[in-house]
Amino acid sequence: MEMLYHQYKRRVFGMAHRIVGGSDAEEVAQEVFVRVFRGLASFRGDSALSTWIYRLTVNAALSHLARRGRRHEVGDEGLTEVPAPPVTERDSVLAARIETALGQLPPGYRAILVLHDVEGLSHEECAAILECRIGTCKSQLHKARARMRELLGADLVAES
Amino acid sequence: MTTCDKVRPRLTAYLDGELADDRGSAVRGHLRECPACRRVASDEAALRDGLRLLAPVDPPASLWAGIQTRLAAAEVADARLPVWRRAAARWTQWARAARFAPTMRQLAGASFAAAAVVAVVTWRGQRGNEPPTGSVVALGQPLSEHLAAAATAAAPAPPVSVEDVTADLAAEPARTTASYDRAVVELMKLAEPSRARWSDGDRAAFDARVTVLRGTIAHADQPRSAQRAQRSLIRLLQSAIVRDDMVLASGGTR
Repeated sequence: MEMLYHQYKRRVFGMAHRIVGGSDAEEVAQEVFVRVFRGLASFRGDSALSTWIYRLTVNAALSHLARRGRRHEVGDEGLTEVPAPPVTERDSVLAARIETALGQLPPGYRAILVLHDVEGLSHEECAAILECRIGTCKSQLHKARARMRELLGADLVAES
Repeated sequence: MTTCDKVRPRLTAYLDGELADDRGSAVRGHLRECPACRRVASDEAALRDGLRLLAPVDPPASLWAGIQTRLAAAEVADARLPVWRRAAARWTQWARAARFAPTMRQLAGASFAAAAVVAVVTWRGQRGNEPPTGSVVALGQPLSEHLAAAATAAAPAPPVSVEDVTADLAAEPARTTASYDRAVVELMKLAEPSRARWSDGDRAAFDARVTVLRGTIAHADQPRSAQRAQRSLIRLLQSAIVRDDMVLASGGTR
């Protein structure tokens, strides 16, 4: 089991961290690994083990947000530019702004961006994890990126 | 003519290299001529690259200890559960592991059968209370009404393409077998470190069992037989992975 933990700890914790935020990520990651270890015997093998674990992670993170009642739904009227942090290095500035904007996205958009763009999973894998159609997955990604661009405001290219 | 309204929704797929040549070419051509769309595309590309370059987040050192604490707490909670709750949990686990997921057709059939049984029982009950009339039509009326109602309730509402369903059903065994194969490969890798720690005897017994199951899978004449052996192999590997932890949990040594 320890090997399983070491193999997946970074991705599970990373996903949880970017979906629920740093303060609750450890709690969510613990919950995921407990479910993995206790549910391993009932793992049916009808998807890749990694897909199953990432599905548990996304579900646990989204449930955690729902329980906490802290949905970062941002209405169109609430869209504002994310202020640039006082960092001089350009990559760090952009990364910090992206992390902040990511935290302001609705949870569903955040999940698809983390899976596809941050973790680099394919649309097929994302669809299997989110239990939706590949077309839905692509459409959600498009909307999520559009919302991110709105949150980040103009001059994204200049920053990068 | 390709317009901004048509190009914007396709930009994500274009930037991710998912558009076929002609559609990709149309988007590329529009971007050459339209500064506004070019700006949106550049922004989205910068965003995508920025997301890809976000640094990985390292988990804290306390994570593993926290997991072990939670596992221990969960086991204590298990021990305090009433027997019937544990039995129910085992049954649920078995149903999931055995893929006890009836198809819509099976559900419809079961519903129809149940409705027919209820109809017959009701009819017999009514016949017992009614004076004999000698009329076959009068006796048969409630049953036919019940059966008609049951058939209506059990009939699938939306028409589904027979070809689609047939093709999907035909491909299902191959999908399941392939999925099991992938699971076996992953679990074999995970079980290897545990296997390496075992005594020669244990290792030989494990290897022999794996060989037998692999032989059964290879020579199975029906997909169901192969899948049964694959499930056995998956269970064997799962047991191998958790075996050392069970020994430690029970106070033994590796």
